[in-house]
Amino acid sequence: MPKKLQMQLFLLNNLIWVIIAGFFILNVVITPKFATYDNLVNIVYHSAIMSLLVLAQGLVMIIGLLDLSIESILAFAPGIALLLATKWLPVGLDPVTCIFLTLAVGALVGLFNGVFIAKIGVNPFLQSLSMLIMLRGVVLFLVPFSIFPLAKAYTYAGQGRMAGNIPVAIPIILVIFIIFHFILQYTTFGRYFVATGGNARASFVSGINTSKMVIWAFVISGMLAAVAGLLAAGRQGSISNSMGDGMVMLSFAGAILGGASLDGGKGTPLGMLGGALLLGMISNSLNLLGVNVSLVYATQGALIFLAIVIDRVREKVRNHLLHQEQVKKMLHQEQQAANQLAAG
Amino acid sequence: MPVSALNAVEEAGTVLRLHQISKIYPGTVALHNVNLNVQKGEVHGIIGKNGAGKSTLVGIIAGMISPTEGEIFIEHKRFTTLTRIISKKEKISIVTQDPQVILDLTVAENLFMGDYICHNRLVNWKEIYSRAEQILKKANLHINARAKAADLSISERQLLLVLKAFYVENARVVILDEVSASLSQKDEQILYSIIEQIKANGNTIIFISHRTDELLKVCDRVTVLRDGKTIVTESCLELNQEKLSSLIVGENFKISERTKGSGPTCDMNEEPVLSVENLTRLGFYQNITFHLRKGEILGLAGLRGSGRTEILKGIAGIEPAEGGLIRVGGAIRRLTHPSQALQEGIVYLPEDRENEGILGTLSVRENLILNALPAVSRGGLVNKARERQFTAGIIEALGIKTASQEQEVNQLSGGNKQKVVVGRISATLPKVVLLDEPTKGVDISAKESILDIVREKLSKTAGIIMTSPGLDDLIMVCDRILILYRGEITGELSRENFSEGDLYLAVQGNRKTNPS
Repeated sequence: MPKKLQMQLFLLNNLIWVIIAGFFILNVVITPKFATYDNLVNIVYHSAIMSLLVLAQGLVMIIGLLDLSIESILAFAPGIALLLATKWLPVGLDPVTCIFLTLAVGALVGLFNGVFIAKIGVNPFLQSLSMLIMLRGVVLFLVPFSIFPLAKAYTYAGQGRMAGNIPVAIPIILVIFIIFHFILQYTTFGRYFVATGGNARASFVSGINTSKMVIWAFVISGMLAAVAGLLAAGRQGSISNSMGDGMVMLSFAGAILGGASLDGGKGTPLGMLGGALLLGMISNSLNLLGVNVSLVYATQGALIFLAIVIDRVREKVRNHLLHQEQVKKMLHQEQQAANQLAAG
Repeated sequence: MPVSALNAVEEAGTVLRLHQISKIYPGTVALHNVNLNVQKGEVHGIIGKNGAGKSTLVGIIAGMISPTEGEIFIEHKRFTTLTRIISKKEKISIVTQDPQVILDLTVAENLFMGDYICHNRLVNWKEIYSRAEQILKKANLHINARAKAADLSISERQLLLVLKAFYVENARVVILDEVSASLSQKDEQILYSIIEQIKANGNTIIFISHRTDELLKVCDRVTVLRDGKTIVTESCLELNQEKLSSLIVGENFKISERTKGSGPTCDMNEEPVLSVENLTRLGFYQNITFHLRKGEILGLAGLRGSGRTEILKGIAGIEPAEGGLIRVGGAIRRLTHPSQALQEGIVYLPEDRENEGILGTLSVRENLILNALPAVSRGGLVNKARERQFTAGIIEALGIKTASQEQEVNQLSGGNKQKVVVGRISATLPKVVLLDEPTKGVDISAKESILDIVREKLSKTAGIIMTSPGLDDLIMVCDRILILYRGEITGELSRENFSEGDLYLAVQGNRKTNPS
């Protein structure tokens, strides 16, 4: 493949980062106080919770399904863990066990979703919708106001700062995204996972245990939502019953911006990180420009639409480039054959 | 019946005439200067091998395909092309081979859909149900008009659509496209008696079938198509099964270089790599028993619905058999999931390439490597360099035409998509390869090269079972052919005894061609 084509394909595959770069430069020019160290750190910090939901949603979308329940798991997992630790169990639990308990609750809810969807064949939209409503209701019942104070170790992930005043949440999410990027690209598990999303029936026929992959998708998604819950609880120093409310729709926006598609088989975790950052950057710059909060929300909705259009255009351009390359190759071969004939 | 029918032909005029119809697709000529003359009140049969152009021809008459050249005359109106709407207005109906009914609606609603009986713009349900009951009674079909279509068997759904075409749409010409393939034996008789009734009313039927015996029984005249051309239109009185078969198959099968030169691809003394004993799945196949040796290419010849796909899927663990034994290399194995079959070295190439074969939105590389990932990885981690090298090897070996490894498989042509699936399943170095119609829907050069791959590459290391839409593919590459009829093995031919004419008769249930 020629260098130029390789470059073009690389840019198309990483279109989200090209857009972010463009948007960044635009904001440096038009938005006051945008390009300050504190503000940039702030953008990433405020994107952290959303980015985990985007990754959770994105991974389920890669397998070709969707998970609405993540925003309720975000409140449910830390809520249940804390209630167990402080009220229901006769002995108090230490904060680190509590963190693991939070993750376990998220994973269990995911397992429940996954088993019903993969083994019983429940529609994923309806399954996760019922969990979305049910878990939120349970949280509202069990946590009437909010749970606080929380142990220092429990809030460290969401609240702690390290050298350079960088919140610990930032390296945490970066590591999580890199791990998942690596898993999808470089492990057999990840490849079977993506293949299942590309065509579940064909993957099943070719000998992949596709229901296991679907269950894993939901377990991972539940666990990531629980991590998001951990960060959210840490950031506000308490567990409130409204945490995560309304975030699931934007998680679709981030995932689609990051290259995922409702048909499955597409998207990469690093792309999704880009999608989440773009969402955060836009709301940040609109805030700095003094735009009304409701309009910010509307803008994010418009962004979903834009993401879908960009995705279609990108696909068309990519296929066009590859098709042209194929034609060129064919013509070249014909030319060679003709030359050989002439020489012989 | 034939005498009165012939009289009818003489008295009545032509209801439908096709003049010099051609249909050219990029790369293939589906129909070439076809003439057809259908008389009022007759049952006109159309028969030919797979790919002879039957479906294209009836598609043109029904207005679903527009011809490249030629004229169509309906009664005396001249058309150069029809749309489905014009065709329906001229009272031409078609019943296709896969019964399309709306499962959640009742039998009566399905019958009158599109032709609701209305009174002042309101649907008159009472009338619809009573008319539906009359129709069902007339056809001697014991179905409740208020039952849901979902409760009917496939066979009953098919009959329902036949009734709709005849009695609700009141068509002048009804095309029955391989309708009997999905009918049970009992419902077949009902179909024949409905056809009698319709003929008595002076309506016309175009009857497409793969089975010569059925055609001779039902039709007044038969048109034989071969390679997109009309060979002959003959009265059924002048024909018998042998004569019709030889017209369909044509001059004796031309033995290609490949067929002539090569001996058997396997050593007949070798232990079987796969044995199947009394394999049974209710309603699909019964008591299937055979052995497959390493390097052998075994053909399964049978019509649609003979159970050929289901048997392969049973062995591959996709739709497991309910009874019988499968031995892989001598040891009994229970295969209930494709991953278990893969573990035993059994791979399956699906007939439905788009839905079960390729992962369309993924790249050529991701498709090809899918089953061979363990071979290029250690401890669950994939070695990217080895992966790329491995994929490049397969692309080179099979001659897959793609711009790069990263191209989406959806962008490839049918033949190259098929090669990608062949490449994927062969990458695991399997012991048993099940090929379900590997040459379906690919152009002629891709077909040649796929058959070459099967014979020259796959059979070096594996035993192969293969089915094909046409018998000529099997004759070209197989060492042995099993005849499948209604879910049972009714005969076996080895390479020296292959003849297309015999096979053609045998797959329709004539047992006399047993070579031993």
